[in-house]
Amino acid sequence: MKFFGKSGISKPEIICTVGMLVFIIAGCGKNGGSDNNLIILENEEKQVVNLFSPMEKTEANVENVARSAADKTVMLAEEKLGLTVDYVTYTAEDYQDKTYDDVTLDRARNDMDDLYLLNPDTLRILAEEGKLKDLSGLECTKNLRDVVKAANVVDGKLVAIPQEVVAYGLFVNKDMFDRYNLELPQTPEEFLECCRVFQENGIETPVGANRWWLETFVLAQAYADLYNGGNTAAEIEALNSGESKYSDYMRPGFEFLQEMIDKGYVDAEKALVSEAIEGEGEDFLAQKTPIVMAYWGAANTDTAYGKTDFEMLVIGFPSSRGQMPVMPMTGFGVGINAEHGEDAMAVLDIMTSDEALQIYAETNRVISPSKNVEVECVAALKPLNDRIQENVYVIGSNASMNVEQWGNTCLIVRDLLGGATVDECMAQFDRLQEEALNKNN
Amino acid sequence: MGKKHNEGKMDRGISLLVSIILVFLILGIIVFSVSHKISREMAASATQNLHESLDLIKCTIEVILNKEAEYQKLMAKGIASMEEPEEYVRNYTRSETMIKIALIRSGETEGVSSTGEVFTEEELDFSAGGTIAGLPVSQSYLNYMGTWAYCIKCPVVKDGREIASLYIEYVYDFFDKSLPEGFYNKKAMLYIMDAETERFVLKPKGMGERSAGHLNLTDFYRANDIQEEGLREEVEACLKENKNIMFYHDVRNKNSLNYMWSVNDGTLYLIGYVPIEAIQQEGRSVNQHILIVVIVMLIAFFLCCLIYFLKQRQQNKLRKEREAEREISNRRLAEALQAAQIASNSKTMFLSNMSHDIRTPMNAVLGFTTLLDKDAENPDKVREYTKKIMASGQHLLSLINDILDVSKIESGKVVLNVEEFTLNSLVSSVDAIIRPMAEAREQNFFVEVTGIKHECLLGDETRINQILINLLSNAVKYTPAGGKIWLRIIGLKQRSDQYEHIGIEVQDNGYGMTPEYLETIFDAFTRAENSTTNKVQGTGLGMAITKNIIELMGGTIEVTSEVNQGSLFRVDLEFRIPKGQTDKLFWAEKGISHILAADADAEVCDNIQILMGDAGVKVDAAHSLEEALSLLRGCESAHDGYHAVLLGCNAADTDILQALEKIRQEAGDRLPILLLTEHDGEGMETVLQTENTGVLVKPFFASAFKEKIKEMQAGLTPSEETEEAENNSLEGLHFLAAEDNEINAEILREILLLEKAGCDIVENGQLALERFEGSKEGEFDAILMDVQMPVMNGYDATRAIRALERADARKIPIIAMTANAFAQDEREALNAGMDVHLTKPIDIELLKKVIRQYVKKDE
Repeated sequence: MKFFGKSGISKPEIICTVGMLVFIIAGCGKNGGSDNNLIILENEEKQVVNLFSPMEKTEANVENVARSAADKTVMLAEEKLGLTVDYVTYTAEDYQDKTYDDVTLDRARNDMDDLYLLNPDTLRILAEEGKLKDLSGLECTKNLRDVVKAANVVDGKLVAIPQEVVAYGLFVNKDMFDRYNLELPQTPEEFLECCRVFQENGIETPVGANRWWLETFVLAQAYADLYNGGNTAAEIEALNSGESKYSDYMRPGFEFLQEMIDKGYVDAEKALVSEAIEGEGEDFLAQKTPIVMAYWGAANTDTAYGKTDFEMLVIGFPSSRGQMPVMPMTGFGVGINAEHGEDAMAVLDIMTSDEALQIYAETNRVISPSKNVEVECVAALKPLNDRIQENVYVIGSNASMNVEQWGNTCLIVRDLLGGATVDECMAQFDRLQEEALNKNN
Repeated sequence: MGKKHNEGKMDRGISLLVSIILVFLILGIIVFSVSHKISREMAASATQNLHESLDLIKCTIEVILNKEAEYQKLMAKGIASMEEPEEYVRNYTRSETMIKIALIRSGETEGVSSTGEVFTEEELDFSAGGTIAGLPVSQSYLNYMGTWAYCIKCPVVKDGREIASLYIEYVYDFFDKSLPEGFYNKKAMLYIMDAETERFVLKPKGMGERSAGHLNLTDFYRANDIQEEGLREEVEACLKENKNIMFYHDVRNKNSLNYMWSVNDGTLYLIGYVPIEAIQQEGRSVNQHILIVVIVMLIAFFLCCLIYFLKQRQQNKLRKEREAEREISNRRLAEALQAAQIASNSKTMFLSNMSHDIRTPMNAVLGFTTLLDKDAENPDKVREYTKKIMASGQHLLSLINDILDVSKIESGKVVLNVEEFTLNSLVSSVDAIIRPMAEAREQNFFVEVTGIKHECLLGDETRINQILINLLSNAVKYTPAGGKIWLRIIGLKQRSDQYEHIGIEVQDNGYGMTPEYLETIFDAFTRAENSTTNKVQGTGLGMAITKNIIELMGGTIEVTSEVNQGSLFRVDLEFRIPKGQTDKLFWAEKGISHILAADADAEVCDNIQILMGDAGVKVDAAHSLEEALSLLRGCESAHDGYHAVLLGCNAADTDILQALEKIRQEAGDRLPILLLTEHDGEGMETVLQTENTGVLVKPFFASAFKEKIKEMQAGLTPSEETEEAENNSLEGLHFLAAEDNEINAEILREILLLEKAGCDIVENGQLALERFEGSKEGEFDAILMDVQMPVMNGYDATRAIRALERADARKIPIIAMTANAFAQDEREALNAGMDVHLTKPIDIELLKKVIRQYVKKDE
């Protein structure tokens, strides 16, 4: 101390000098490595899981909320398991291209990937072909709602687990309904009346449609009573046994669509070549079309109808029991011969855990398949959500029915759009039912 | 000078600042150019690296394609030599590379395939004309496995003749295994595009963000907002010409370098982009490090500046403190020097004054003594000379007393002798001294006492007396003939019940003082005028003594004065009120509980009410004679009637005697009536002869009133006082005196002879002791003992006498007569066994009084 005092060096000066020296020495320090001039690189065994999913066509500088939500759950799984999930994507360029479902089937049949995001029809086909693993042993299944489990069980095996319960509904421009003093339609008749009024007021095609989602009208009318009449199990059993005919259920919906086509409320030709949202979205956002159909998440994402210049509401499809949400199940399945099957199962278990589903639901504001996750929906979805909360809905794809509904109805509706008669369409249902009965026998 | 110095300092500061800014500017420019150069070089290097990476990927793919084609050619050769090539095809099991093979015989449209179904070329499109190693390659398509594939067609030639075509399907996925897992830290995006269809057929793993997926070139443009027509056209043109291109364009708000790299003569393209920040990461990192170094250097520089600044500040502070200390010390030294000079001057002046003041009366003494010697035979002259010698001696004594007082006060030896006193006695004694002085100078002296609640107080009466006499004698001295002097004693608001708060004012309308003199009036050794030029004589110590005594008593003194207008001294003092001093009992015993005070001055009546109220005596005030008479008539009954009347001389317009008569008529003969006069009962002889009538001098004091009532009731007459005075006579007494100074011994002997008393004088204490030892009992009535004597001093002699084993040794009064006038001298004398201490010069009256007191006591 005396030394410092004598030499005139004060404490702060010493501290500063020492600090700088330490800084310089630290900066000059070696960053690991061998003493010799040799760099050794470890060969790391990379643990990978391949996930096959569709990729929506993106717009510049627009965030895809649905994709972000799924990504977050994937990252959670990667973090927890210490592996990498590689994405393999496919999206059809146009209607002439192979559909996503076709490609999914090809890839799953050839064991190209580990995890697949499956639509209801492909899910059933692959499950019946035994190409999907049974997921009922996963931890996450304990938290799933019963309706979700029921919709994804084929031959007693839980073959897919969704991250959201997809609910389809009608997206309506409330401002335009108000402009023409129209009440939101409850029944098919009221719906047709609304279309008439719109058409009379110069809106030539009141309903915007694409080749994927028109079957929702048919399914809502077909199964409104079956799922909400209190006799669901027996009626399904009657259909599976051949006592009842699918075509009898389907006919009113097809006739309704036929009338819409005949009266020009739907542009059949355009719809037949239009991809989802791409074809009808532009007119809907421009307020040229007052009604379109889409899934729940479209109301949350800017890439679809998340940002409109008008008051938008999402309601159920018209049916004899009022507005009816249609809920097909999409879910993740694991290929039976997946190269990284075990890892894929673990990834899926985390992606559909309560923690992940909470993240997913909060990001995407959807109905969660977990009974433990509740998230408030956006205002536009309230009418649709109210019906779901009342347990009034139609399941778009029920794996317990021996004829797959979602995909088949979609294809047959395309035939209708293509010019087939209602009777011809019904004949197709009868054929499918017969094939199913024969297969079981 | 100071301003110039500051300007110079500021100039230096500005030039230093400019230099620092210049150095930083140059440093900044150098750092900026270096970092800019590094950035440029690194960017160029990064672009070169990107170029090389893309070339590497391109070569890898081309090698794979060529190897595939070469192998297919070999396979075709093999098949050509086979007997049953169809069988070979059907039995082919797919490999990782070759997913499917098919064979169509020349001239046929259908053939066989390894997957079992009939194979036709219709499903494949070779129209683009692309080749690999000379073999036609189809456009890309989604194969049966749901993945993108291409097919190479190879002729099967046997004996120089094409016998069939071998079709082999390859998948793009296979490339993925041979390509690097990302570059530019996986920030670079890469797709493999089929040039003809512009479909993206492979996104190798690790190439760019996995969440980004594009279908085709149009989707790529749209998703990345590459919409500029000119740019698109240029790019399209390059693609057609199989050129490699790069261009900058923002992708998702990040400036990126987009690239399109031709592979296999343009049948495939590598499409993608890499953000500039990823390319320039290394350059940026280098720049960041440069920046850190610069920042560290700057911090170090500023730290050094800060430390330097702090140190400078500390040193400046120390220097300033030292300068301030030096300045204070210099100032103090200068002040001390000045004070010393002033003190020296004052003392020189004092000595000069003293020399003059002492020499003047001494001159008178010596001069008159000479005259006395000459005119010894002329009794009238002798009396006149001795009178003057006496006056000069008195003046000399007062000079010496003042000097001693100052000396005692300055050395802190003054101790207040606190005893009970009355304001009455204080005012009376002061009045008795000052009034004759004032009258001698034809001045009017007024005494006013107002608002006093307690007149009996605790304090050092002698010192208070000294204060008043100092102030008043100054007033008399400095007021010309015919002037006025006031003494006011004012009861102020009490700060505590236990203390009387008194203000004393001494005012005159005399010469007054200059403001300069007022500043030094309370300093010792100063005087309003130099005594050599002034008629007024004095030591110049009076005011210093006064102020010191007042401060010793916890009081204050202030003065206001104007030249030729007069002066006003205000003294503020507090005196403790003695406990249980009320005279209630006296008044009750005397049966006086109700009196009438008649005076034209309401203030006088109020004072009486205040002072008597404390004693439990009710006072009715009348401000005129008529009012007084009316009050007297109003209370005829004895019990509520008046027990005394105080009648102010100004109460009636008529002669006071007539007024008194009127009062007496109403009050009857027995009621005590006291006339309140401005001074003693001069001209009141008639009044005093009347029974139950007396005179009280203003200001009114309850104690004076009490004494007067006592006198009146006891019937004491002045002739008794005279008798008392006569009792002090020393006639017939015989003293033993010890005095070493012959003159003093002579004076003492003569004085005692004048008093018809005998005296034996010895020269020292030892002789006194011996003389007393040798005397008969009762031979001496008292011993007068000097203190400072040779052989044996007075104290020792006294102790020795008291120690003698004689009956009268302890009884005989021993009176110290000494020039040692301090309090401790008196204390020492009493401790030695002396009875009383008298200071020289001897006041004969005091000596007589004391001797009579002690001798009488013994008798």
